[in-house]
Amino acid sequence: MESIKLGCDGRGNPLSEPITWSSRANSSLALNPSRRSFLLGTALATVSWLTASKSSLSDVAVGTKGSEYSGDILVTVFMRGGADGLNLVPPFFEDGYFKHRPSIGVKAPSDKKANIESRGLDLDGKFGLHPALSPILPLFHEGKMGVIHACGSLDQSRSHFEAMATMERGIPDQLTGAASGWLGRHLTSAERKSASPLRAVAFSNIMPDALRGATDAAALNSLSDFKLIVPTGQNESDLHSALADIYSDGGDAIAIAGRETIAVLDTLNRIDPTHYKATNNAVYPKSAFGEGLRQVACLIKGKVGLEVACLDHRGPYLWDTHVAQDSVFGAQAGDLASGLAAFAQDLGTELNRVTIVVMTEFGRRVQENAGIGTDHGRGGAMFVIGGSVNGGKVHGKWPGLADHQLDETGDLRVANDYRDILAEVVEKRLHNNATATIFPDFQTHPLGVLRS
Amino acid sequence: MTFGRRDCLKALALTGTGFALNGCSFVTRRITQPVLADKIALPPTEIHPIVRLLNRTSFGPVPGQVAIVASQGIENYITEQLHPSNIEPQLLSLRLAPLETLQLQSSERGDELLDEMIRQMQMACILRATYSPHQLRERMVDFWTNHFNIYARKGSSAYFKPHDDLEVIRKHALGSVHDLIRSSAHSPAMLQYLDNQVNRKRDDHGAGANENYARELVELHTLGVHGGYTQKDVQEVARCLTGWTVEGRFLHRKGTFRYDDTAHDKGAKTVLGVTIPAGGGENDGDKVLDILVKHPATAKFISHKICKYFLGDQADSWTDKMADIYLKTDGDITQMLRPMLLSKEIQSASPILKRPFDYAVSAMRALNADTDGGKGIQMHLTQMGQPLFQWPMPDGYPDRTSAWTGSILARWNFATALCTEGVSGTSINWKKLQERIPGGDKNETTKQLMELITAHRADDASSKMRNQRIVKHVSTATKGKPHMQIASLIVASPDFQWR
Repeated sequence: MESIKLGCDGRGNPLSEPITWSSRANSSLALNPSRRSFLLGTALATVSWLTASKSSLSDVAVGTKGSEYSGDILVTVFMRGGADGLNLVPPFFEDGYFKHRPSIGVKAPSDKKANIESRGLDLDGKFGLHPALSPILPLFHEGKMGVIHACGSLDQSRSHFEAMATMERGIPDQLTGAASGWLGRHLTSAERKSASPLRAVAFSNIMPDALRGATDAAALNSLSDFKLIVPTGQNESDLHSALADIYSDGGDAIAIAGRETIAVLDTLNRIDPTHYKATNNAVYPKSAFGEGLRQVACLIKGKVGLEVACLDHRGPYLWDTHVAQDSVFGAQAGDLASGLAAFAQDLGTELNRVTIVVMTEFGRRVQENAGIGTDHGRGGAMFVIGGSVNGGKVHGKWPGLADHQLDETGDLRVANDYRDILAEVVEKRLHNNATATIFPDFQTHPLGVLRS
Repeated sequence: MTFGRRDCLKALALTGTGFALNGCSFVTRRITQPVLADKIALPPTEIHPIVRLLNRTSFGPVPGQVAIVASQGIENYITEQLHPSNIEPQLLSLRLAPLETLQLQSSERGDELLDEMIRQMQMACILRATYSPHQLRERMVDFWTNHFNIYARKGSSAYFKPHDDLEVIRKHALGSVHDLIRSSAHSPAMLQYLDNQVNRKRDDHGAGANENYARELVELHTLGVHGGYTQKDVQEVARCLTGWTVEGRFLHRKGTFRYDDTAHDKGAKTVLGVTIPAGGGENDGDKVLDILVKHPATAKFISHKICKYFLGDQADSWTDKMADIYLKTDGDITQMLRPMLLSKEIQSASPILKRPFDYAVSAMRALNADTDGGKGIQMHLTQMGQPLFQWPMPDGYPDRTSAWTGSILARWNFATALCTEGVSGTSINWKKLQERIPGGDKNETTKQLMELITAHRADDASSKMRNQRIVKHVSTATKGKPHMQIASLIVASPDFQWR
């Protein structure tokens, strides 16, 4: 299988086995990678969607009633493995692009000699998209998707693990400093009196580093994992009603939280994520990514109080394309794009209160290698999709692909710090002003990717 | 004994009716809901003072313990707990003995051991909290482990943490706060976790001094964030601690404390208004620690945190008194704790939410569970949100109620698993508990189990109602094991979440 020969050890050397990122980078809270390693915590709560139907709950909640969450639902998609930004978003105006990528370079949209399926899709006359990203091209032209190129962290290690840990922890370039994740700090700094047990969900068997430090985040392989475990000889509805009954009164924080939990179980039962049907004729790809997005859509539409959802995109192969990149890249990009397009279509007008950020730990070397693949590089591409995106535009600075413009290793320079984009999302769309806490020691320079 | 119900309690104990303590109705008191600082609602509570005391000074009473403490007297119990022996019961010693990676020198530990290391550290911690009779020490170990939190999955922290656990936390848990802070500052696990191993004097390129440890030392370990220091003080503390690092040189004993003079900033420094002259070398750090441990803000900050741990929202009633003792005794923990532990406040203070570790251990103690402390129970701690030694931030697991109220589902699943043979490596010997739950009809069994698990008989209206509700749902219990179902509902119930 291709993934075997494409794997590498994190420093660019081939491995004999497919890489498993979780083995190191994400081992944060996994004692043993359990199916349901959810870490939950929430403020005492009157979740907005409950107050309508169960007004009695809001009567027993005490203390300052937290303001209801007014920001967007953030969906992060992390392309694990270092996705090649130069082939996702080829800079067709750069001679250097074609010079360095004679074999695997995407053909220019105007290249009449090339087979039409292999030509890139024009974005703005300068940059384009890989043809396999065609499902998301309409989002760009409708103004719902912005692209940021040449972005990344200051991490120079070119190690998957260090680069991912850097980004997920929201720190500049080293592995000292804050051990918690940027989303963890966002959630903690915006702690709510009124929050759902499903406030932050990672579709993963362990908590991603980005959410570390938040007690009110759940890591679930699937929503079907959020359930009562019933011993043999009992049945679930008996246990459910017994717990609902012993938690039916009491005004203390635990009694209230218990009723919330019962209500979430009821909701999941009601919205039935395993049988959720997409709307607007959206068709999700039959992949782990497509399934994850489908469940996120289900939560968004179920109005369960979701604020943050984290997904990984690993794809049918790997993004870590050291060898024979062309043989897999289309399938990788296609899975990503068809998933995102289906998600946007399924959400319909709900997309107006959603912001999706697609990112990766680093881009890849400009010069293709002898194995017709690419090695670990620096600057990569990010996509931001949503109702409040300044779309239809490639944002940020572009450092250029001429030889003297590349860094000493021959990589596209990082001209746009990934934190500039994330900080803008946090401030403008999540309505959290604590960016100094979330991205310590960092002066943000918003690129104008989003509207307030 | 400082209060006047001694004879009554004694009589009860002598007649062996340890669980009928509410026969003396005057020993219980109703706590009306107070106005709370953090606006988190607490349950109204009617609970026996000894039960409350044991909930606070231990990981919950074991069956029969309330009667024993009643008969020996609270003062004797507290005195004994404040001066524990280092000898653990044979059962506990035998279970701790095989945890061999904890005995290895830091330098002998290889990469492949990381997960095993963390597993064994958790095992030891769970076993001690569950089985040690020296419960107050285990409580203080829990407190200090969080105060001087180290995330075992950062770098090589896991290899150094067992040494920190034994030589910093456990050794001084009931000793002196001064010693704790000083030995923590020399602990390779701490220096590594908070980056002091790369804290070096500024080099020609302007790179240098890493302030991470210095900042947390001041903000979290000693003065507290409102302790009156400036950012400049933090930088100066960091300069004083340049060169305090972890040994890693060839042919040296790796993983021990090392002072590296070549990395030390030799200039003069000023910390909190005190001048530390140039050329002090390793002593600069010692001087800083001396200033910090003796500072009144440290006395107050640490006293308040201890009081919060034992008294919850009533912490303010004892903070100043404890801080005075701190200053008079150079931070003698035993002397700081004693009057507070003998106070009436601790017997009546309003409830504190159990963190998952409290919750799991108190349930196992209440049911006399037999646990190996291993993967089964550890998995549940992870699901409930408290995998031990794995809180990434330096502030330790939160004590805010709001941080934990969302893990209820995981608590319910733990309660069910514990009581129905669903936690691997952990079991309950129901036969052995039979003398305490002789049975009868469902009503009787529920009452008996409620008394066993909560260690007191609650006859107030809301408890009665809760019993009735449980009984109602037991009607569908099958396979002749209603006691398991009843017990799991009691452990899962709101009442058992508080200490």
